[in-house]
Amino acid sequence: MNDGNALDAELAALVSALPTHEREGQIFWRLRIEVLRAHLRHVIANARLRTSLVVGLSLFFWFGLFMLFYKGFDFVIRYVESPGSRYHADTMLFVFPLFFLSLQVMLIFSSGIILYGGLYPSRETAFLMTLPVRDERLVYYRFQEALLFSSWGFFLLASPMLLAYGLVANAPWYYFAYLLPLMAAFAYIPCSLGAVCCLVLIYRLPALRRIIVGAIALAIIVVAYKSIWKTLEFSQAEFLGNSWFKDTLKRFRFARGEWLPSTWLSNALIEAVRRSHNNPRDLPWFEAGKYLVVLVSNALALHLCIVWLGKRLFRPSYWELHARRTKRPKLTLAWVDRIAAAMLFMFPRQTKLLILKDLRLFRRDPVQWSQFLIFFGLLLLYFANVDRFREHKSDINVATWVNIVSFLNLAVVGLILSTFTTRFIYPLISLEGRRFWILSLLPVERDTILWGKFLFAACGSWLPCAALVGVSDVMLDVSPMVVAVHQLICLLLCIGLAGMAVGFGAMMPNFREQSPSKIAAGFGGTLNLVLSALYIMAVVLLTALPCHFFLLAGKDEMPPRLLQPSYLRLWLLLGLAASIVLAALVTILPLRGGLRSFRRLEV
Amino acid sequence: MLRFDHVTRTYGSRVAVDDLNLSLQRGELFALLGHNGAGKTTTIKMLVGLLKPTSGTIFVGPYSVVEHPREVCRLIGYVPDLPFLYEKLSGREFLRFVADMYGMPEPAARAAVERESERFQLGEFIDQLTESYSHGMRQRTVFAAAMIHQPEILVVDEPMVGLDPHSIRLVKDLLKQYAESGKIVLMSTHTLNVAEEIADRVGVMRNGRIVFEGKLEALRHALPNRGETLESLYLALMES
Repeated sequence: MNDGNALDAELAALVSALPTHEREGQIFWRLRIEVLRAHLRHVIANARLRTSLVVGLSLFFWFGLFMLFYKGFDFVIRYVESPGSRYHADTMLFVFPLFFLSLQVMLIFSSGIILYGGLYPSRETAFLMTLPVRDERLVYYRFQEALLFSSWGFFLLASPMLLAYGLVANAPWYYFAYLLPLMAAFAYIPCSLGAVCCLVLIYRLPALRRIIVGAIALAIIVVAYKSIWKTLEFSQAEFLGNSWFKDTLKRFRFARGEWLPSTWLSNALIEAVRRSHNNPRDLPWFEAGKYLVVLVSNALALHLCIVWLGKRLFRPSYWELHARRTKRPKLTLAWVDRIAAAMLFMFPRQTKLLILKDLRLFRRDPVQWSQFLIFFGLLLLYFANVDRFREHKSDINVATWVNIVSFLNLAVVGLILSTFTTRFIYPLISLEGRRFWILSLLPVERDTILWGKFLFAACGSWLPCAALVGVSDVMLDVSPMVVAVHQLICLLLCIGLAGMAVGFGAMMPNFREQSPSKIAAGFGGTLNLVLSALYIMAVVLLTALPCHFFLLAGKDEMPPRLLQPSYLRLWLLLGLAASIVLAALVTILPLRGGLRSFRRLEV
Repeated sequence: MLRFDHVTRTYGSRVAVDDLNLSLQRGELFALLGHNGAGKTTTIKMLVGLLKPTSGTIFVGPYSVVEHPREVCRLIGYVPDLPFLYEKLSGREFLRFVADMYGMPEPAARAAVERESERFQLGEFIDQLTESYSHGMRQRTVFAAAMIHQPEILVVDEPMVGLDPHSIRLVKDLLKQYAESGKIVLMSTHTLNVAEEIADRVGVMRNGRIVFEGKLEALRHALPNRGETLESLYLALMES
C-alpha cells in the first residue's frame, strides 16, 4: 500500500511540472516563428519565381482594386452627397452592409472548413494529442491558422476599399486609426462563429443518422437558393429606374439588421468618416469607437466560447469521429470506364489502358474531381445567366459587349483549365516516379506513357470545356461564325495546355515530393502556369480582335473607311492561322522536350 | 503501473479490441503480437489518448486515460508506426519543442536534447531540416523525442520497420536497457525474433482478444512439441 502511495506521489510530482497556459501559448508561437523562418529561407533560396509572382500579382490586384474603389466612391461622393449628409449615409449603408455581410458568410464557412481540416484528419493534431497539450490550447492553435487562412482574402479586398473610401471622403485621422482594429475585430467574429459551428457539428454529427444530416443539408440548400433567387429577381421593364432602386433597397434591408457584425462595422465606418461641424456634442470618433467596442467585446466573447468548447468538445468529438467504421466499397469497373473504353477505340491498346488507369485514379480522388466540379459548376451557373444582353442586341453598344463577353468567357474557361492542368496534369509524371518500377517492368514504350497522359489530359478537358463554351455562346446568342471560332480556339487551348503540362512535367520532374500540390507549386509548375496564361491570352486576342471588328464592320455606326470587311476577313483568317501555329508550337516543343527527358530518365 | 480493465473498442459493429485485461509493472518489456487487424494498434491508440475505449478503463498509475489525458501523456512516450515530424524544423528544434511541451526547464531541456542526440546518433543531421531525413533518420528522431522526458512508459508501434541493421541493434539495446532501468516498454511488433530476444512477456492478440499472455516459457509449456522459437509457437497458436 505504501509502495502504491509512493508511486502515486512520484507520478504526481512529474505531472505537476507541466507548462502553464501562457507557457504553452509561448511554445506554440515559437514553433510557428521557427517554421515560418524556415519557410521564408526555403522560398528565398528555391522559389524566387513563384514568390515574386505571388507578391507581384497580389500588389497588382490590390492596386487595381484600390483604383476601382477610388473611382466608385468618387462617383458616389460627387453625384450623391458628401459624408455626413443623409443620402450619403443611406447609400453607404446599402453598399457596406451588403459587402461585409457577404464576406461574413464566406468567413463563417471558410474558417469552419479550414478548422475541420486542421483538427480532425490532421496528422499534426494526432501528434500533438500524444503530448501533454491542453485540448483548448490545441484547438486555439489550429483556430489561429484557420483565422489567418480564411481572413487574408477579406483583408485583401476590404483594405483597398476602405482606404480608398477614406481618401476620397477626405476622412479625419481617426478613420484611418480605426481601420485596422475594426477590420480585425470584425473578421474575428465570423471566423469564431465558423469554428464554433465546426466543433458543435462534429461533436453532434456521429450521433445523427446520415439521412437526417442529408435532409437538413438539402433543406438549407433549397431555402438558400430560393431566398437568393427571390432577392435577385426584378422586372426587366424598370431595370435601373427609380422604383427599381427603391425596390432593391427594400429587398436588401435584411443586410442592415442591427444584430449583424457587418452592420456594426458599416456604422462605425460611416461615423468615423464624417467630421464634426461646430457642434461640441457631436463626436464622430466617439460614436465610431462605440461600434468598435461592440465588435471587440463580441469577438472576445466568442474567443472565450471557442476556448470553452475546445476544452469540452474537441477530444470527445475527435474520439467519436475516429471510432466510426469507414465503408470500403467494392471497386468494380464503372460505367464511366466502359464508356471511356468504348470512346478510345481508335487508340492502341496500351495507350488506351494507360488513359483508363489515369481516368480511374482521377475518378477515385475526390480532391481532383470535386475542385473540377465546383469551378466548372460555378462557371456553368454564370454562363446560364448571361442572357441579359439578348434583350437589347440591336444596340451597337450591347452588341459590342456581347462579343467581348463571349471571348472573355472563353478566356476564363481557358484560365481555369490552365490551373487544373498545372495542379493535376503537370505533377502526373513526378508522381509516377515512385511507382515507376511498375510501368518500367511492363512491355510499354516510355513514349506511350507520355502520349497516354497527353491524350488523357487533352481529351478529358476538351469535352467539359467545349460544353461550357457552347452554353455561353447559346445564352449570349452569338453568330454561328463566332460559335465555330470559339470551338476551334477551345480545342486549341485544350491541346496546347495539355501539351505544356505533360511536356514540362516530364522535363522537370520532382520525384522526392509526394504531394501533387507541392510539385505544382515548384518552379516548373509556376512556369507552366505563367506560360499557359500567356498562351491563352495570345490565342484569344489573335482571334477576338479581328472577329470583334469583323462583326461590327457591317453595322452602320462603324466608319467604313477604317474597317473594311474584306480587310477584316483576311485579318480574322490570319489570326486563326497564327493561333493554330502557336498551338502547334506550344504542344510540340514541350512534348518533344518531355519525351527526350523521359526516355533518358533513370529512376 | 499500467492497467487495462475490461477494455473494449468497437468500430460500428466490428469489435477491434474485446474485453482486454492487462497489467504491466515497472521494469517490464511487453511485446504485443498478432496478425494485421488483431487490435494491437487500436490498443496502443487507446493508451496514448487517440481513441476512447467503448467500455472499460485504462489507468496509468492513478490516472485514467479518458479523464486525465494530459497527465497520462506526461508519463508516456509514444513512437507511432508512421512518425510525424515538422518538415520545416531541424531535428534539434523539434526535440526542443517536445521538451518544452513536457515542461522541462531550459538547462534540462538542452541537456536532454544533447543526451538523446548522442544516444540515437543524430549528431550529423540534427541541425538539418527534417524534410531531408531518410526513414531511418526520421524514426531515430521520433524515438529521441519520445524519450526526451524519460517517460515512465515507452509505447512503440512497429519499431523496426524500415530500419537498417545498425539502427535495429541500437533500438533493441535501447528498449532492453530502458526496461531494465525500471521503466515500462510496451511494444507492438510483427518482428517475432526481436520480441523473442528482448521481451520479458508477450501478449498474442487474435480478433481483438488476448489469446495468450505470459513469458515465452509459459507458451512453450502451453504448446508442447510445437517448436522452440517464438515464431513456430506463434504460428501454432494462430492455427489452433
